[in-house]
Amino acid sequence: MELQAVVMAAGGGSRMMDLTYSIPKPLLPIGNKPLIWYPLSLLERVGFEEVIVITTKEAQKEVQKLLLTETKLKPDIVCVQEDADMGTADALRHIQQKIKTDVLVVSCDLITDAALHEVVDLFRVHNATLSMLMSKAHEFTETVPGQKGKKKAGEQRDFVGVDDSGKRLLFMANEADLDEDLVIRKSIMRRHPRMHIKTGLVDAHLYCLKRSVIDFLAENKSISSIRGELVPCLVRKQFSKFSSLQKNKEEPNQNMKKKDANTNSENHIASADDDLLELALNRSCWNDHRGDMCGAYHGGKLRCYVHIMEEGMCYRVNTLAAYIEANRLASKLFEEPAIHPSAVISERSVVGSDSIIGTYCQIAEKASVKRSTIGASTTIKEKAKITNSIIMNGVTIEEGCNIQGSVICSHATICRGADIKYCLVGNSQRVELAPRTTEEIVPLPFTDPALIYASF
Amino acid sequence: FTAVVAIKWLTDGEEEQPLQAVLVADSFNRRFFPISKDQPRALLPLANVAMIDYTLEFLTSTGVQETFVFCCWMSNKIKEHLLKSKWCRPTSPNVVRIITSDLYRSLGDVLRDVDAKALVRSDFILVYGDVVSNIDVTQALQEHRQRRKAEKNISVMTMIFKQSSPGHKSRCEEDDIIVAMDSKTKRVLHYQRTQGLKKLQFPMNIFHSVSDEFEIRYDLLDCHISICSPQVAELFTDNFDYQTRNDFVRGILVNEEILGNQIHLYVTMDGYGARVSNLLMYDAVSSDMVRRWIYPLTPEANFTDRKGQECTHSRHNVYRGAGVSLGHGSHMAENVLIGRDTSIGANCHISNSVIGSNCTIGDNVVLDRAYVWNGVHIASGAVIRQSVLCDGVKVKERVTLNRQCVLAYNVVVGPDISLPEGTVVSMHHPDEEDEEDEDEFLSDGADNSSNQAKTKLKAFSAAEVGAEGKGYIWRPVKQDDTEDDELVQCLWGETSSCITTGVYAVFQTEVLGTLQRGMEENISCDNLVLEINSLKYAYNITLKEVMQVLMRVVLEFPFQQQGPQLAAVQYCALLLRLLKKWAPVFRNYVKRAPDQMDCLESLEEFFLEHETHWGAMVKVLMELYQLDILEEELIMRWFSDGVTSAKSRQLRKNPGLLKFIQWLEEAEDESSEEDGQ
Repeated sequence: MELQAVVMAAGGGSRMMDLTYSIPKPLLPIGNKPLIWYPLSLLERVGFEEVIVITTKEAQKEVQKLLLTETKLKPDIVCVQEDADMGTADALRHIQQKIKTDVLVVSCDLITDAALHEVVDLFRVHNATLSMLMSKAHEFTETVPGQKGKKKAGEQRDFVGVDDSGKRLLFMANEADLDEDLVIRKSIMRRHPRMHIKTGLVDAHLYCLKRSVIDFLAENKSISSIRGELVPCLVRKQFSKFSSLQKNKEEPNQNMKKKDANTNSENHIASADDDLLELALNRSCWNDHRGDMCGAYHGGKLRCYVHIMEEGMCYRVNTLAAYIEANRLASKLFEEPAIHPSAVISERSVVGSDSIIGTYCQIAEKASVKRSTIGASTTIKEKAKITNSIIMNGVTIEEGCNIQGSVICSHATICRGADIKYCLVGNSQRVELAPRTTEEIVPLPFTDPALIYASF
Repeated sequence: FTAVVAIKWLTDGEEEQPLQAVLVADSFNRRFFPISKDQPRALLPLANVAMIDYTLEFLTSTGVQETFVFCCWMSNKIKEHLLKSKWCRPTSPNVVRIITSDLYRSLGDVLRDVDAKALVRSDFILVYGDVVSNIDVTQALQEHRQRRKAEKNISVMTMIFKQSSPGHKSRCEEDDIIVAMDSKTKRVLHYQRTQGLKKLQFPMNIFHSVSDEFEIRYDLLDCHISICSPQVAELFTDNFDYQTRNDFVRGILVNEEILGNQIHLYVTMDGYGARVSNLLMYDAVSSDMVRRWIYPLTPEANFTDRKGQECTHSRHNVYRGAGVSLGHGSHMAENVLIGRDTSIGANCHISNSVIGSNCTIGDNVVLDRAYVWNGVHIASGAVIRQSVLCDGVKVKERVTLNRQCVLAYNVVVGPDISLPEGTVVSMHHPDEEDEEDEDEFLSDGADNSSNQAKTKLKAFSAAEVGAEGKGYIWRPVKQDDTEDDELVQCLWGETSSCITTGVYAVFQTEVLGTLQRGMEENISCDNLVLEINSLKYAYNITLKEVMQVLMRVVLEFPFQQQGPQLAAVQYCALLLRLLKKWAPVFRNYVKRAPDQMDCLESLEEFFLEHETHWGAMVKVLMELYQLDILEEELIMRWFSDGVTSAKSRQLRKNPGLLKFIQWLEEAEDESSEEDGQ
């Protein structure tokens, strides 16, 4: 076994609480599949046979069921407490005992058609300590419920510095952490004289990590997040020479045992090459750079790489906007028929080929469904019109409703004649409206982008 | 139909504007002193051809039809040279107009004059008279014009760079630059010289543009060729404080938001372009020339079309002019260029060298990386390595020139002498400069006679230049009035300095006296500082020299007290006590980075004289570091850059010192790491 796969599915989905307050994030339906199905099927597709899933108690059962029914992966589910405020690195540290080889860490919210071998190949070819996946950021085109106008560009950008080949990761910083200046050591520039700084990238949160990194994590308990702390730390460490020695001096107060352990792990993380490989490198005329006479990698032992997807699909479903966008594109990722055979669809209804209809759905006469996802056991009654929307499971949409660009969560009921545009209807809500007769007179209250909760 | 014709006519009209160039045949600095005292830099021979000829050839071959040559220092000589050259023949495709003025003090003055005289009509090329290049700027010019057309008057300048990785020999530390650019538009966002910097800082606001891809490039060599719009000259007029192109670039980049002007860059991969800005570059460009990297500008091409410049090219890049005679057993190994009518004796070994015309070289001479100009006599048994010998130099028997020696015009050295590394000998006395003061730019023929009278009064030192030698040793002296605290470089392009002795001896004894009294009467450090300050004014000593003297006096103090036979251990103990006691005095004088460097240099100088006490040096450094008088970064810089002689190199191999430096390195790495976190 070369790599062990770990799926991180314990996140709360804090950036889309509107959706996740009722459904755990890994189970959010996208194209009628739970979110976590996507990374799992990605792993299965490239030939993984086992997987470690880190999730919360809440979602454990569902995830287990899913793994058994939908995939052939041999699961190992580890639960962490949701309220423990564990970061991804903490979670990795938590399962240290289970990890025997290098690891591939995937977040449960990744939906991508990336060729995973590109990332793993970088890891193998360069004997890297870390290799990761990034993608060009996508513009979300759809209008998002509860969000007026365009999202402002004021979000903090990530600065990612890569070398001329575009693979070696040299620099990483978030705009928020930089004060007035972006500072780069000259010694780095001397080794990699042409650095490309990219800002329009999203991190797919897919990492290949050396086994030694896990040990390093075990020693450095202060690191709690992979993306926020571990990765920048590794990127920086590529260029610090005496990391193991300085520890001895800088921490004289700590007890000897701790210090030794620290030194060892740092050494370990650094000397990733074994002796034979080193010999091979010394004897080989191969080099990773040109322009000077130094050996490959300038003698550095710690190397970080990144594969940047130029095209293709890569989404992290961590916001409402991404959720809607992912639903729109998800159907491209699986081969199953868009309309489940168990669905009952009246012949006189219109169902667009770009829609997904779940199991046991009922679509009545003259109803029309376009560019939408309809979850399992949902009933759509006569003359209802649904465009550009996501309808989850067990929803009832009564006669003559007009739903556009909205998200309707599970078990909600939309009463007859409602006209809903760009709304989010919460779990088990009932949207009632004035009878159709008055509709023409009373201005429709739901045409503004708004979130509908119990108050309605 | 008529409209089409009209448009065509209009665009044609634009295209037909002849391409103009501004060639600045003056460097406005003294880097080539004392060589450039006798000959302006633009006329110095590089591979036996005056440098300005390369620049003009480059301009002509790239399509320039009209060149304005601006001369200041020794303008007559440049004018004379150009009038004789092929550029001033009526058939020349490139019309050369010479403009001389003694009032030019900088590039800024030249461009302000360009603006005042309204010389340029459209985009022009700006170069210095010491640029050697074969770059075809057509492509860059086209891009420049397209940018100008697309966005009217936004882009004012396109700088031309050559890609060359760090550590390439055509890159010298002094001219290293870092450029931040926008990958898509090729706009320059940040341009900075990196000499002496450890961390490169880029202001965040340069990344605020719409683009999401930037490049930070440290692999660029500035060719000092720029395509400028006429606006550049106007901008120089508007901003009378712009002196150099560096000022201009910085001004444009900083005020981009206000003025809306932008600078772009063009990177050539295969062209060659470099400015001979110091002798290190002279060495690099000369050897590139002989090795044919600047093809089609090669020595045998004789592009200047001058009689007597012809030479033949044979394998291993050996070039011989007409009438060269080579003695029995002499060997020209590789990369050798020999000018007309030069005779070489028997059993010589010559490699990687350029020899001018009418030279005589004796028997058993070894030349490696030697640049011998015209009419030089080298007697038998001489050994010359990486040195420059100007016209009319005589090297007597069995003289050895170590690396980076310079013998200026008509100097005689030897016999039987070895000049240490980095020796500069000139017929001009170094002190002449001070006497001439500012006038030297203005007059040069006028007071020559009086100068010569003066120089004759001073005798040549036989110990320095040999029994039959003629010439004065030039020591690189730091100038205190340079702007921006720039380290002044010696001719060869490396940083170094040394104290001038003499006047300071008195001051030194005074300081010693003060400190002794301070010791005996237990005077407080504040009062000591006060006394030293008053001495400083009394003797008109610069702050820098105060520091050097103070360091020296304190280091010698134990010897003064206990006699010179003091053992290292006792010396060390005494000295450390003194350092601790007088730390406030040091802190008062040693504040900025250059101060600390000076301090370290005097420290080194002292210990070079006291070899037996090297063990104490580490302790002193450690103490000064712990007293916060010296910073680790500067100690490191001193350790890595400050090598001036073989002995100081040896000093740096002292195991104690190495250990200390290693310790510092680790500490530093840790701290820089913590910065990042």
